[in-house]
Amino acid sequence: MRRSLEDPIFRYVAFSAATLLLVVLSGLIVSLAIGSWPALSKFGPAFLFSSNWDPANEVFGAAGPIVGTLLSSFLALAFALPIALGIAIFLTQFCPPAIAQPIAIMSELLAGIPSIVYGMWGLFVFAPWFSEHIQTPLSGLGGIFAGVPNGANIFTASVILAIMILPYMAAVFRELFRSIPPQVREAAFGMGATPLEAVTRVLIPYVKKGMVGATMLGFGRALGETMAVTFIIGNSHGFPTSLFSSGSTLASTIANEFAEAGVMHTSALLGLGLVLFLITFGVLAIARWLLSSQRY
Amino acid sequence: MIANQSRALRRKAASWLFTSACLVATVIALTALLLILWSLVTQGVSAINLEIFTNDTPGAASQYVGGLRNAILGSIMMCGVAMLIAIGVGILAGTWLAEIGGNTPYGHAVRFLNDVLLSVPSILVGLFIYQLLVVPMNGFSGWAGAIALAILATPIVARTTEDILNLQPNSLREAGMALGASQFVTIRRVIWKAAGAGLLTGGLLGFARISGETAPLLLTSLNNQFLPEEWWNMLSGPTASVPVVMYNFALSPDDVWIKLAWGGALLVAAAVLGINVLGRWLAREKKM
Amino acid sequence: MSDMTTNDIQSVIVPPPADSLVLEVKKVNFFYGANQALHGVDLPVKRHAITALIGPSGCGKSTLLRILNRIYDLYPGQRADGQILFDGMDILSSKVDVTALRARVGMVFQKPTPFPMSIYDNVAFGVRLHGAKSSSEMDEIVEESLRRAALWDEVKDKLTKSGLGLSGGQQQRLCVARGIAVNPEILLLDEPASALDPISTAKLEDTLEELKRDYTIVIVTHNLQQAARLSDYTGFMYLGKMIEFGPTADLFVTPKVAKTGEYIGGRFG
Repeated sequence: MRRSLEDPIFRYVAFSAATLLLVVLSGLIVSLAIGSWPALSKFGPAFLFSSNWDPANEVFGAAGPIVGTLLSSFLALAFALPIALGIAIFLTQFCPPAIAQPIAIMSELLAGIPSIVYGMWGLFVFAPWFSEHIQTPLSGLGGIFAGVPNGANIFTASVILAIMILPYMAAVFRELFRSIPPQVREAAFGMGATPLEAVTRVLIPYVKKGMVGATMLGFGRALGETMAVTFIIGNSHGFPTSLFSSGSTLASTIANEFAEAGVMHTSALLGLGLVLFLITFGVLAIARWLLSSQRY
Repeated sequence: MIANQSRALRRKAASWLFTSACLVATVIALTALLLILWSLVTQGVSAINLEIFTNDTPGAASQYVGGLRNAILGSIMMCGVAMLIAIGVGILAGTWLAEIGGNTPYGHAVRFLNDVLLSVPSILVGLFIYQLLVVPMNGFSGWAGAIALAILATPIVARTTEDILNLQPNSLREAGMALGASQFVTIRRVIWKAAGAGLLTGGLLGFARISGETAPLLLTSLNNQFLPEEWWNMLSGPTASVPVVMYNFALSPDDVWIKLAWGGALLVAAAVLGINVLGRWLAREKKM
Repeated sequence: MSDMTTNDIQSVIVPPPADSLVLEVKKVNFFYGANQALHGVDLPVKRHAITALIGPSGCGKSTLLRILNRIYDLYPGQRADGQILFDGMDILSSKVDVTALRARVGMVFQKPTPFPMSIYDNVAFGVRLHGAKSSSEMDEIVEESLRRAALWDEVKDKLTKSGLGLSGGQQQRLCVARGIAVNPEILLLDEPASALDPISTAKLEDTLEELKRDYTIVIVTHNLQQAARLSDYTGFMYLGKMIEFGPTADLFVTPKVAKTGEYIGGRFG
């Protein structure tokens, strides 16, 4: 009679494991909501719209980090998107497979390097170089180039973020291009299209939805990235006033301040977490939906 | 005819420019990534010596040369515990999705939420475990860190498990059932066995993902300069980990500490690359 | 009776009258990397006629077709040598502008390959590539091409709908319309009916019959009845060689090479 019990028990255990995933995610949301409630109820809408973040006086407005998060992620995407697209097109269309394969494997392996390593490289190598060769010469111009020329600013943080999401986006784009049936490509070239015309008028439209989805997944990664940014964004809480001004993101603020935070400060940091969750959840949900509806 | 020829020339020139731009993009990206690897290797190799594995992390204002022993052990312990949890829960959940309930509305919901969990910013998992375990237990601990890491690895294991099991032919299931075996026996003896290398790959990918995670550990296991006397007590208090030590030391003004941070970076990156390569190699063996 | 070698088979080529040729394949070899797929193949192609290529799968008939518009160029490692004369130039020469060549030698593939755009834009695609046209001119070209491909009546009310929404047979005729819209001199078809049902196949064959008045057509088929019904000349290929080429009626009724007779008689393939 052991047999008759075995299957139900197994199903129940497997079901519980699957449910645990759901419980964890709900728990995460609920705990963020509960933990951030003191700050949210105290500051109300000002928590979202004020840029006054002053732990000493226990006043918390998250607009600075929110804008910093969106701005640095958008910039990172603007840098990474054309380059990732270029790599994917080059590897799938113009490059002999014998070379494409090792490049692709290498970049996919690099995608696995922990983000803190990118952050350290940004802090010790890229920021000093950028400060000396780009920011200092340009800082006289003022305007969007104004800022302390120490290399720690929104722009450099975005570059590091871009380098970080680049291998990932390039890999997804490459997969998408490889999923196009070879006959479609042959048909485009068979019509006498040049490589440019075949790629932009036939191949990219063929995987358009998937590309938008992959781009948003990359954006989602940039939004929630902590360590690559924390080292190099400068960590100031006002609105960024120029491309080269220091700033902060939701994740970098949490990582920086959590250890020393008092009660209300902790609640405010949890509030930042809640905002970050809602933004990334929205972006990721749309991305997954677009990726799953990619079919022709 | 002349108009047509100049048009053909224009098209060719535009296409040539486009091809060159794609090549340039590839070169830029590879250069950036190689520069990072170069710094990592040159800075890291000079920091790696025997002491890094035998000495513990130095404390403030000490003349002690120091190493990363406590952080390496802490990382191994936390990742090990996390992987035990993640492999258990992940394989069961993935099996449930692939073999039992994946096509029910509830199954679709679980799959979607697993995908969300897969890409939730890791620092939020840190905040969650801080609230769930650190606050009630009155202190940071290695256990909290291990559980945070487990939450990050489980969705990866679940996802790969489901994908791998879906690749197994239905004839395997039918063959098992036709012999009169129960579903549990069929899954355990036939399906899991056939998918063995793939399941291992899922575990390795999850392991690679968490071994460099920093943000959640900052909020859960924190850091600890000392190694407890008994190893089984290791995770019960604040626990050092390589990434957190890297973070603290990289931001310090002390050159010796910064050097240790680079050494840690090289160790972590090498471990992650090694695990990834192993995982891929296993996955390829499976396909052949 | 030789099985895996063709060395002892003397191939027989009965070419059409020399002044009626539009394209001439002479002693062409083709390689996939180190593997040689074609061995000294000849193929004379008659203007405004249908030439069929038959033979067992793997005999090189599709490979031969893919040389005629240099589509194999897309794949590094594939190369051809020999000579293919088309309008006084050698197609295989590295100086040939392949985009211009492909505008003159169109191709329809085994599986329908509509592009992810509207029916109208599919047909207009090639025309737009090779020269600007006013919208009324374009409308005319699109309608004319769809009419010739016998698709106009079925799609005239939904020209702005996606080409991917059509049935398989309609998609294949859309690809034919797209191919003839640029007014090529030669149209290559690689087993165009193999994915279609009998009714769609019959419609497609009618279309080809119509088209041959203005175009030269080369069609690869594994369907012997189709070749016999449709073509004026037929080439039989085996193991990468052109075994026999001649007027379709002669080749099917009185094959000059024993191997051809065996294949047509259904003894292998």
